[in-house]
Amino acid sequence: MNIFYLLPALTLITITFGLPIIRYFWISFHASSLLTGLEYIPNYGSNWLRIIGDDRFWRDTIQTLRFTGVSVSIELIIAILIALLLNQKLRGRGVIRAISFLPWALPTAVMALGWRWIFNSPYGPIDQLLNLFGFASLNILSEPRLSWIGTVLADVWKTSPFISLILLAGLQTIPNDLYEAFILEGGTKRQAFFRITLPLLEPYILVSLLFRVAQAFGVFDLIQVMTGGGPAGSTESLAGYAYLNAMRFLDFGYSATIIVFSFIVLILVCLIGWITISNSKRILSS
Amino acid sequence: MNNIKGLKTLGLLLVTYLFFNHIAKAERSLNANTTNINILMPAPFADSTSGLVKEFNTTNKGNIRINVTRGPLETEAVSDLAISTLLLGENQYDILLVDITWLAKYAAADWLEPLDKYIPVGDWKRLAHGARLGNDYNNKIYRWPLVSDMGLLYWRKDLMDSPPKTPEELLTIASKLKKDGKVKYGYVWQGRQYEGLSCVFVEVLAGFGGSWLDKSLNPNLDSDQSIEAANWMLSLIESGASPKSVTNFAETEVLQVFEAGDAAFMRNWPYAWSELHKSDSQIKGKVGVTSMVSILPGNQASTLGSWGFSILKLSRNTKEAYQVIRFLTSEKAQRELFLKNGYTPTSRNLFKDQLLQQHSEILPYLEKALSITKGRPQTPLYAQISNVLQTELSSLLTKQKSTIEAMKSANKKTIDILSSAGKKK
Amino acid sequence: MKRLNIYILILLIWSLLPFLWQLVTSFSTTEAILEPFSFTGNHWTLDNYSQLLTANPPFWQYLINSTIVGCSSTFITLVLAIPAAYSLSKSNTKTQSLFKIIFLATALFPYVLLFLALLELARYFDLGNNLFALALPYAGLSLPIAILLLLSAFNDLPKDIEEAAKIEGMNLVQLLRWILIPLIAPATASTALIIFIFSWNEYPIALTWISQSDKLTLPVAIARIAGSSVYSVPYGAYAAATVLGSIPLILLVLIFQKGIVSGLTQGAVKG
Repeated sequence: MNIFYLLPALTLITITFGLPIIRYFWISFHASSLLTGLEYIPNYGSNWLRIIGDDRFWRDTIQTLRFTGVSVSIELIIAILIALLLNQKLRGRGVIRAISFLPWALPTAVMALGWRWIFNSPYGPIDQLLNLFGFASLNILSEPRLSWIGTVLADVWKTSPFISLILLAGLQTIPNDLYEAFILEGGTKRQAFFRITLPLLEPYILVSLLFRVAQAFGVFDLIQVMTGGGPAGSTESLAGYAYLNAMRFLDFGYSATIIVFSFIVLILVCLIGWITISNSKRILSS
Repeated sequence: MNNIKGLKTLGLLLVTYLFFNHIAKAERSLNANTTNINILMPAPFADSTSGLVKEFNTTNKGNIRINVTRGPLETEAVSDLAISTLLLGENQYDILLVDITWLAKYAAADWLEPLDKYIPVGDWKRLAHGARLGNDYNNKIYRWPLVSDMGLLYWRKDLMDSPPKTPEELLTIASKLKKDGKVKYGYVWQGRQYEGLSCVFVEVLAGFGGSWLDKSLNPNLDSDQSIEAANWMLSLIESGASPKSVTNFAETEVLQVFEAGDAAFMRNWPYAWSELHKSDSQIKGKVGVTSMVSILPGNQASTLGSWGFSILKLSRNTKEAYQVIRFLTSEKAQRELFLKNGYTPTSRNLFKDQLLQQHSEILPYLEKALSITKGRPQTPLYAQISNVLQTELSSLLTKQKSTIEAMKSANKKTIDILSSAGKKK
Repeated sequence: MKRLNIYILILLIWSLLPFLWQLVTSFSTTEAILEPFSFTGNHWTLDNYSQLLTANPPFWQYLINSTIVGCSSTFITLVLAIPAAYSLSKSNTKTQSLFKIIFLATALFPYVLLFLALLELARYFDLGNNLFALALPYAGLSLPIAILLLLSAFNDLPKDIEEAAKIEGMNLVQLLRWILIPLIAPATASTALIIFIFSWNEYPIALTWISQSDKLTLPVAIARIAGSSVYSVPYGAYAAATVLGSIPLILLVLIFQKGIVSGLTQGAVKG
């Protein structure tokens, strides 16, 4: 009976996650492109050799990791601040909360267009304001050193509310008496934050971190719409590169290989992150 | 409990929608004798041909009906849409409006119907030379051109007496006008990392006497001419003749700047002309058109753009589809599209047409540009090698790499792509 | 107290500014869009909106499409997730933690990378251009997180309720329908909202599964909006589409913002 209730859900999950992953592994050992007439022809790992020597893949890996690391860290800090603020007793708290969750609720692809327009040079508001006050244009999206920061900013804006939502739920499980007792014993508010709030929030922080790392690692629509991967490929992500190979170059064998390698990179990153966190915890507690 | 009420309302809405959807479908299938020909076009083409489509549908009522799907605006986005339809294996469209750079890829994927058996020999010869290019793959014709497109240099008559002829002149005039405060920017062009950048480069490269691939299809991107051409594009930005932001400009941004009167020169396609002569244009009557600059006069070149109709293999109505294509590309249709939208004709005759010449002063320039068009490499792997070129050009324009380094790397990667193809074949 | 207000103000500006800019742009004329800070001449217009609503297909079609996809994927997910979560909550701790790890791993998966294989599935089973079919991968993608959220909600329920119901002679379906589902309603509501927003906003799968223009979902449709004139940037229309497409979500968030937080608390995401 147990299984009977679980089975439909498990089936659908297997079809959407399990089958594709197995399929990707299979395709990654085949050539399937225009040159094979889109048929699958075994090529015995030559895709894997190609990807190891593909500078672009490794550059995209680094760029994707940079995007993920920077945006998730900033998001976490901002989200904690927002969650603390929203947890206060405020007038009109409902409306304030709704407004601060708004960015999360809007479609990424759509708001990415909005951000592209905000960063537009010379007609976007940022450049217009700068020019109005006599400064030079920033050209955020045309400058390879800045363009990825532009995408990070848009991502931070879009997804911090999601983390703050989870953290807010966490904050509400912390009983107020804990704080009152702590203050009575002579602790400051700041100390309370580090001694009570943060430790009790830890599981929530971890869960939201895991989620965000995984989702940021697969960043696609945001970048596709804002920069298309440019300039000079400086914002191209792994998902974007896989999309390009499949939908523009019609090279499905290689696209699948990129995806398989992205899985591997992500799992490695998660493992390393996990080990670092548990190690540092052990050091801190000893 | 409110939630449940909401769900009920939504359910009701859903049922209503399905009901109306059903009625609409039933209505559509009523005209069973009519052959429906579905065409996917980028939005601007769907808009400009809407009059012709209406005309065709009235005269052929009960027999053939054209349904146009208004695709996205950007070329790449249309391609994505077309490809996902084709990959889904749906026979949703009979005709596709195909960009010149897609043709080899689509033909190699076996998605297109060869047109040779439909086309009378004489008809094909009526097309202008440039319009005949880029429609074939492996000696078969897959596409009938709708509009010729070639790269043009737009210049401001109120700021100079005659347009520059050499790269040197263009750079000096543009930076001087900017320095003197006559315009905000000198010369604007497509510098964003996308297909437009390849188009710009093809013209400039030809002007410097070089070429992308040589006759035996080996890349030539690390030649002296290629490096000089790339260096010149970089110097446009460094000297201030072009703004730094050109590295994120596509056609739309470029036109926006030029239309606002903020630039002295613009590189764009013929349709910009009619856009610049709309009633609310700020620079109406102040614009001249010429071809891209070159070191030697004989090397002047225009990148060939051009869109054309192809019939999809999955179509069940190829005969009717061909009839539709010929209607939409007839001389009468070309005339209308030229007068209304400034689309460059494809028939040789029309360039000598008095009425058209009277209507638009740029017709002779278009004819000239069409005679010096330079195609982009025709290979199914075009998307890959163009992507390599765009990325490397973009990285040298934004000073991520030196010119020599970037062009050498572009050359090597192009060789890799083309040779991997040779091996597997 | 005063400092708090300043913080609130910063938060509101941060959250709203990009959206407000869209709002301003959506009411601006083409010329005004190019000079946003000079308010001379004709600055304001409704053209962008009328253009959207008179386009073919009209804009509300996409709203309906997205609503259909959002509702059906939410519905499918909940129908599958509630029994699954319930049966897991009844199983022993070992099984439970095993499944928790599996679901967590899948929920963390960057689903974007699945687009290519999902496109193949769509072709194989002929699921392209069908809004209800599009709900299937969405449901599949949302199931792991939905089960996790609901599982913790079930685990938090006091055990004696069920015992009491069994003594009353209720069977399992009745138990779920009359006792358990109402009790976990807050968690269900917030789960539903998360799924709905995900399906409403999803882009890459919709991009490859739907190619027929009257079946596009909102994000894809907006990204494909074309200008009224040849090759001029239709930012005004984009902005207007953003505003129209956001209204339902703003309403949803306004209505459910309280429930969503308390629902997540009930489920205690920590697992």
